[in-house]
Amino acid sequence: MRNNKLKINEAANYLGVSIDTLRRWDENGKLKSLRVGQREHRYYDSTQLEEFLLSSCVDIAIKWARSSIGEKPSDIFYCSDSSVFQGRLYKLRKALSENKEIESFFSLLISVVGEIGDNSFGHNLGNWPDVIGIFFAYDIKKKIIILADRGQGVFKTLKRVKPELKDDAEALEVAFTEILSGRAPESRGNGLKYVRAIIGKNPVNLFFQSGEAELNLIQNNLVLKIKKSKKPIRGCLAIIKF
Amino acid sequence: MVIDIKKFGAILTSRQLGKEALAAYLPNFNNISEEEKIYVNFDEIDVFSPSWGDEFLTALYRKFGDRLILKKSVNASVNASVEMLEEANNMKFNIE
Repeated sequence: MRNNKLKINEAANYLGVSIDTLRRWDENGKLKSLRVGQREHRYYDSTQLEEFLLSSCVDIAIKWARSSIGEKPSDIFYCSDSSVFQGRLYKLRKALSENKEIESFFSLLISVVGEIGDNSFGHNLGNWPDVIGIFFAYDIKKKIIILADRGQGVFKTLKRVKPELKDDAEALEVAFTEILSGRAPESRGNGLKYVRAIIGKNPVNLFFQSGEAELNLIQNNLVLKIKKSKKPIRGCLAIIKF
Repeated sequence: MVIDIKKFGAILTSRQLGKEALAAYLPNFNNISEEEKIYVNFDEIDVFSPSWGDEFLTALYRKFGDRLILKKSVNASVNASVEMLEEANNMKFNIE
């Protein structure tokens, strides 16, 4: 997005909220406009809007994944295909490369993000139920990375090769623990086990939800805590904290 | 012969790109002898993942067996990915 001033209707459109919501946020201080006097029109700086979106990226991603209606997310979060995702991984690498605190697990962290994102594209290619592509955002200051898709979810994907699976919780358990070899005709299927192995030895936490099941993986610990989610989502949601 | 993995990029995490990398590289093996060893050099790689590795390294292992030699790497994601591939595919790479 170029750095310029947007009218309130343009800003509302960019953020995906109503004009009344923006007026309310201006008045209560959640997102101040650039208006000088009460009689002036409200304007918003594009950089300010981008920063506002990034600071709310977790809430936006969760809302996007849970919504019954599939709509493309804002451009700054949207990876329409794997090449866009790959380009943004390079941006993430650049953003993280100056952080000395994570030097020891820098490559592992990005490879985990790459595996989760690549999983979304690989398992849904040609079969996306509504929105094609993934939501991908990060907030380096808050040390958080978020990925989401509105794909088929882990249960439906794994049931093709393991028909005895009963529900989302069982599918998550299998996806993060079992080596599934010979998954003809495709050879994929071990990305999430890699994710677990990395988190088990590094200062990284993961929340992962698919359908009606969610799990938490706590840093330096291989134990999976799987439970039923309060609110189901369409595909997969991953929140990584480091 | 030596395969410099950095020539495929600095971040190698996509399964699809791993598949394309293999397809692009295969003609290089047309004229090698049956005894020649194939060394894989990971120097200057930033990020590596099992998905890319499965399409490239596993395929080369199946083609060349012990003639495929992975050079030791200091990159944590390369080493973790190689370990995962060995476990998932029940095989052991020649590393030196």
